[in-house]
Order: sequence, then C-alpha cells, then structure tokens
Amino acid sequence: MKTEIERIWHWRSTALVTAVLLTVGLLAVSFGPVNLDFAKIVKTLLGMDGGLSSLDRTLLLEIRLPRVALAALVGAALATSGAVYQTVFRNPLADPYLLGAAAGAGLGATIAILGGQNGFHAALPLFAFLGGVLAVIATFFVSGSFYADPRSLLLSGIAVGSFATAIQTYLHQRHSAVLRTVYSWILGELTVADWDTVKWASIYIFFSLLILFSIAKKLDGLMLSDEEAYSLGIHPNRIRIIAVGAATLATATAVSASGLIGFVGIVVPHLVRGLLHRATNRALLTVSLAGAAFLVLADLGARTLLAPAELPIGVLTAFVGAPFFLFVLRARRLQP
Amino acid sequence: MSSKFLSKFVIALFSFTLIFAPNAQAKEYPKRIVSLSPSATEIFFAIGAGKQVIAADSYSNFPTTAPKTDLSAFDPNVEAIAAYKPDLVLLSADSNKSAEVADALKKLGIKVILEKAPTNIQGVYNEIGQLATATNHRTKAKKLVRNMQDKIAKTIRKYRAPNVRIFHEIDNTYYTATSNTFIGGIYKSFGVTNIADAAAGADKSGYPQLTAEYLLKSDPQVIFLADAQYGEGAAMVKARAGWSEISAVKNGNIVELPADIPSRWGPRIVDFYSIVGKALSAVK
Repeated sequence: MKTEIERIWHWRSTALVTAVLLTVGLLAVSFGPVNLDFAKIVKTLLGMDGGLSSLDRTLLLEIRLPRVALAALVGAALATSGAVYQTVFRNPLADPYLLGAAAGAGLGATIAILGGQNGFHAALPLFAFLGGVLAVIATFFVSGSFYADPRSLLLSGIAVGSFATAIQTYLHQRHSAVLRTVYSWILGELTVADWDTVKWASIYIFFSLLILFSIAKKLDGLMLSDEEAYSLGIHPNRIRIIAVGAATLATATAVSASGLIGFVGIVVPHLVRGLLHRATNRALLTVSLAGAAFLVLADLGARTLLAPAELPIGVLTAFVGAPFFLFVLRARRLQP
Repeated sequence: MSSKFLSKFVIALFSFTLIFAPNAQAKEYPKRIVSLSPSATEIFFAIGAGKQVIAADSYSNFPTTAPKTDLSAFDPNVEAIAAYKPDLVLLSADSNKSAEVADALKKLGIKVILEKAPTNIQGVYNEIGQLATATNHRTKAKKLVRNMQDKIAKTIRKYRAPNVRIFHEIDNTYYTATSNTFIGGIYKSFGVTNIADAAAGADKSGYPQLTAEYLLKSDPQVIFLADAQYGEGAAMVKARAGWSEISAVKNGNIVELPADIPSRWGPRIVDFYSIVGKALSAVK
C-alpha cells in the first residue's frame, strides 16, 4: 500500500516539476532584453501568419531559443550528476564542483582550446570529460576510499579542484592571447549559444542521462551495504564506475558548453528530495527537470536584470547556491 | 716637473670643471629608463628619448628598436627591474600592486613615474608633456602634440558621421566599451551612436557585456573588431547565428582592427582615428 502511495506521489511531483519547467520555459522565451509581442511569438512558433518581423524572428529563433535550450540542458546535466555523485559517494555535499570534476573538465577544455580546438564541437566535451574523470579519480584516491568521511572527500575535492584551477590559471597567464575567451568563461555564461552548441551538448547530455536513468534503481542499491547489494544482484563497483563516468560526461559537456556554473548540482537535488521527503534515485528524472527549470530561470535573470548588459549566470547561481550550501551543511551538523 | 706645477695643474683642472659645472646638470635627466608600459615606450621613442630607454616590458614591441625584455608590465618585479640599475622607472598605475612596487623602487633611490591610463585624448597629450619634461625633450614633444592634434582634427572634420550606429567588440562574448572609455571617446568624437551606451549603467568602468538579443536589435552599421588580433575575423562574425540581419554584416562594414594601435595611447593613436574615419565613411 505504502509503495503505491509513494509511486503516486513520485509521479505527481514529476508532473509538478514538469509544469514548473514549462512555465519557466515559456517565461524565458517570452521575456528578454528585447521586448517581443507574446501573441506574435506564439504565432511564429506555430508557423502561423502574422508572426514576428524578420529581425525579431531571427532574434527569437537563432538567439533566444537556443539559449533557453542550452540552459535547460546544462541545468539538467549539472543537477542530475550532482544527485548521482551524492549517492555514489554517500555524501550530501558532493557536487560536480566540490569533487573537482568541473575544475578538471575546465582544465581539459582549456588545454583543448590551447591545442587549437576552437568553439564547441564534438571534441571539446571529450577533452573536458578526460580532465573531469582524471580529477574525480584523483579526488577519490586522495580521500582514501569510496565512503570516505564527508570532510575528507570534500577537502580532497577542493584540493584537486584548486590544483586544476592553478594549472588553468598558469596556462591562461602564459597564453593570454589564445585563451583570452577562457577568462569570461570561468565565471560561467550562456551568452553565445547557438543551435550547433545545443546539438552537440544534447547528444552527450542525453546519452549520459539515459545511462543514469537506466541504472537509477541500482543506484538506490548503493545505499545498502555492498553485501546486501550483491544479494540483490547488484555489482556495486560496476554501478559506481558507470554512474561516475556518466555523471562526469554530463558535467564535462555542461562545463565545455557554458563554463563553470556552480551550485546547481547541490541546490536542485536537495530541493527535490525535500519535496519528495525521501532520497531515491528513482526521482532522478524529476531532478533533471528541476535542474533544467532552475537554470532556465537563472539565465532569464542573467539576461534581463542588467539589460541590455549581461550578468554572468555563475554569479547568480552562486548567490542562491552558496547560502543554500551553508544551510545544508548546518542542517547536517544539527542531526543527531 | 715640480710638484708646484703639478698642484697648479690640478687647481686649473678643478676650476675648469667648475666653469663647465652647468654641464653636470644634465645628469639630472635620466639616462637609464625602464619603461613598463608599451604606450609610454612608444612616446619615449617618438619624442627622441629612445636612447635613454635601456629596457622595456615584454609587450613593448613598437618601435622595433625598443629594447624589449621579458620584464612584466602587469606584474612588475622589483628585483628584476632593479637589476637594470635604472635611474627612472615608468610604471603603469594599473599594474599589480603598483603603489607598493613604486615605494620599493623609491627606497632603492630610483625615480618612479606612475602612469595613469588616460581617459581621453587630452590625457595622452598631458602624458607626452610629462615624459618630455622628465627626459628633457620638450621642443620635440610640443611639435609631436601639435602634429597629432592637426591630423586628428582633420580626420574628424573629413569623416564626421553623426548618429551612425557602431559596435566595438572586445571579445566574442560581446564585451564592449561605452563612450565613457578612452576608446569610446574616440568614436564619440566622430559624432557616432555607440550601442553600448544603453548599457552604461551596468559597468561603472565602461566595459559592459551586451546580450546577443540587444546587439541584434540595435542593428549596428559598423562593427569594429578589437578581438581581430586574437583571431576573430569578419568571416566568423558573418557566420554567427542571426548576425546576417545586422546592417554592418549585410553591407560588409566589419573592421578588423590591427593589433595594439587601438589599445595604446601613444602617437600611433592618430592612425586609429583614420581607421575609424575611413570605416565610417563607408556607411551610406
């Protein structure tokens, strides 16, 4: 009986978050630094007569829509990989940033750009992925074990992240001309989003998310002891490697498409778990949708708060995320 | 030779030195200048003080005879500077810990000029005057300034383009410069409309980042690519999603600015005025 209630609640929450995402998406498409007539936007999107003028049409279809789409993809990727890292490392504070994965991915992407990989195409996320995986492995070895004490995992993640950032800063100093664009990218931004970026980002992100969704049930098994997991027919280490690999690919793609946007991976999973009153990876889809909604909303702020100037989105997410992080940290400490 | 004669000779030599003592004042002018600003290096050479410059920072690539070293202009290192035994150091006020570095150099008995980036063309003339006074090249500097003023006035008169909409691109994420900046002031002197000015409230120093939507909507008629020196070309701008709608792209008025000239407030700023003027004259 109870499981049935849980299932109903689960689907309700997914539906709720989907509705939120659609609403936020509609807002993001309707509002921007340039005012577009809403009725005309709808007509244009539906391919009806009486839509926007040629310029406004281009503005909507070539500038605004790909940006909203990229925000949604990046948000989903960061939130989902955050939730997965938290499960795999049994650590509520694990997130792509604190584990050093994002910094490693950033370093990988920087080296790729230095090597002549210009713009976002098929190869950049793969270099970022390589950097991210190496960083996670390093964090993991430094901290000693999978279920290291949360503090030691976080500390080694921060150290590995700082190390990668140091190398990146050094490269940046030495090759300021080539890596000039990397500078604004460090803060995280979606300023230059086009359909080509969206295409490649969606390929990698959907691929990783599908893998993660498909092993969601088994991820719950990781919350048990390894022996119990084996008795349920789950190979814990195999699942961990697949999960961390897929989460890191999603993170790396997000980082190479939009720079370092922090705190999404920690705020969103905790919000969703708070909403569900339970920590299960069967809610991974809900986490993805919520992540997408969160970043689309943040990007709407980035585009409009200082319009016609841009506010780096990484600043916005950190502004919301950092206090939230402290809140989670404190709530954990107060637990018996 | 008697010792008396010798002492007379010594006295004569001494008085000879005394008579020509004013010559000794020339020592007050620096002979071993370290210039840690590419703009100042260009000015030193243009006013005839080039021979007094013994070392210049790693970006001082003009004129080619400038004694470029690997000294950093952004991160000045006191020991590395002192190793050149300079009698004058020109330090950019925008460099890292410039006040502390200046103090440390002064303690070593080295004169320091702390150079503030000028906010307008008058600031350039002032700096030329200041460097000329410090190096004893006032006459040549006055001539240089007059020459620059004449050429610039002529260029502006010839190419004035009231209300032509321009966009100055600093990088490919649409950072730009408003009319309140040094470079923005140069565009403004032609009477143009700088589309960045609408975002002037967003960044007090005058370098906001524009949203792509606004950029497209404000439809600049000329685009100046300051990032051309970093590989961003007109062809890449044309290929950007949606940019084919912009007048400047439609009419091919995209200017790939040469390296250094727009970002240095030396004598070559005159060339920048003519580049801007010619580009503006292409707008019908």
